[in-house]
Amino acid sequence: MIVVVGICAVILAAAIIIGLIRVLTARDQGSRAVVSDLIYFSAIAIVTMLGIAVSSSVVLDVVFLASMVGILATIALSRILTRGHR
Amino acid sequence: MNETLATSLVGIFGITGSLLLLGSALAMFRVRDALSRINVFSPATGLGMPLIVAAAYVFDLHSAGFSWSSLLMAVVAVLCLIIVSSVASNTLARSTVLSGQPVFRKTSPNRLAFPPEGVIDVDSEEG
Repeated sequence: MIVVVGICAVILAAAIIIGLIRVLTARDQGSRAVVSDLIYFSAIAIVTMLGIAVSSSVVLDVVFLASMVGILATIALSRILTRGHR
Repeated sequence: MNETLATSLVGIFGITGSLLLLGSALAMFRVRDALSRINVFSPATGLGMPLIVAAAYVFDLHSAGFSWSSLLMAVVAVLCLIIVSSVASNTLARSTVLSGQPVFRKTSPNRLAFPPEGVIDVDSEEG
């Protein structure tokens, strides 16, 4: 179980690093908003894999709540893009 | 549910989900503007994350046995990921267009550049 979860964590870490490079090199704000959302979900996936690795009992609750809250970041970023207008 | 079955299921779901997330991270480099990036973001939240939720559920099933509440939580998490994330992506796409982010110059047909036929553009100069 640990080996499998380790492989997933390495793949997700690579996804986060690629996303960070994309955010640094992106010119327009819209791309930064989208890639930061991708980094958010990759981080949630890594937290899930960590929960599985330490065999904690709240893994499902973490993913459940994080995917519900994920929309707030995206809505906030889109509101920032339009400078506060709807 | 014995150990090897749980490990292989968590592995299948987890690695596939992680590869989907990595794939959409790589796809962010191949497309050239914000709108297409929102487009290639959907495999990550539409299929990548639900697979990771499935991996978490299989692990929960393995460690804590079957319980209706965790099954309900997993199903609601997957539905939430698909519905809520697409609503968020639509909102982000709408604000990306409204805030005038640059569209890739080779986009053709670029329906955002010109109003559709038959629509009188009220504030166009020659109108």
